[in-house]
Amino acid sequence: MALSDAEVGRYARQLLLPGMGEAAQVILREARVRVTGGGIALAPAMYYLAAAGVGTLWIDDPDEVKPGAGAGFALGPADLGRPRGAALAEFARRANGLVVADPFRPGSRPTALLICGASLDVSRAIADEARLLQLPHVVADVDGQGGAATSVPLGAPCYSCATRPGLGAAPTAEGGATVGALAALELILLLTGASLEPRARRIEVFRGTPLMRATTRQPGCACAGPAAAGLAP
Amino acid sequence: MNPLVPVARLDVRAHACPVTWVKARIALSRIGEGEVLEVLLRDGEPRENVPRSAEEDGHRVMRLEPAPEEGEGTWRAWLVRGASMEDRAWP
Repeated sequence: MALSDAEVGRYARQLLLPGMGEAAQVILREARVRVTGGGIALAPAMYYLAAAGVGTLWIDDPDEVKPGAGAGFALGPADLGRPRGAALAEFARRANGLVVADPFRPGSRPTALLICGASLDVSRAIADEARLLQLPHVVADVDGQGGAATSVPLGAPCYSCATRPGLGAAPTAEGGATVGALAALELILLLTGASLEPRARRIEVFRGTPLMRATTRQPGCACAGPAAAGLAP
Repeated sequence: MNPLVPVARLDVRAHACPVTWVKARIALSRIGEGEVLEVLLRDGEPRENVPRSAEEDGHRVMRLEPAPEEGEGTWRAWLVRGASMEDRAWP
């Protein structure tokens, strides 16, 4: 269905970007993205997805809002003690009234995942779940003031194949904002088909400098099964 | 051979930049390559920017003329869709 006047007005500048247009914006509107993992990149990533017009956002973050846990731009003192998923969904709806944002509920059927794990193990576990469900996903790993965004389109080398240890520095709010925004952009490009090859890639940001590489499959990894060729039922 | 005539018409006189060009670009994406879109514009910034943006995007400006019969300060542009716009599908 065509974009409404309100949508054209809201996304006017985005619609002029290379690779974007009405068809791509409609794809974003029809997308249902589960934002998950509980990491510090979650709130900025969710904000950018909402601002870009991803039609349905499910925030999967059952923790409570705690002081000093980041996302100060989205959550205020009045949110302390509330479920983060509900508070962030409310913020997303305020950021863009044209999108639907709610806490994730089991049984919901996303079309893609944006994984902002609080640790590499959390990210690995959720990314593996996404691979088995045959859902494209992007993983945001925050490492100090930088980190990495890993794009995993259908059939691509999995997150475990693509990832490699970083510095292991404690995540910072700056790193969360940087990597969250980058991961949201990567997911938008993945969903709309606007990304250039290689689409299976990892962008690492170190001291403000991004470095992109194509991801490769590790020998013997389970992701080389039928799903890797897009053949699984 | 039939002369080129518009297959679609768009009135962006109620809008300001960048929505004027965004709406024209969307309308161009809905017609075929080589087909003509007629756009009604306000004089001033829209008259200058929409045709220029169309040419920068790979389309051709076939006509750009005052259209007083449509209202004071109205201009008419005929834009011929170029080949630069791609259809997109799910990845």
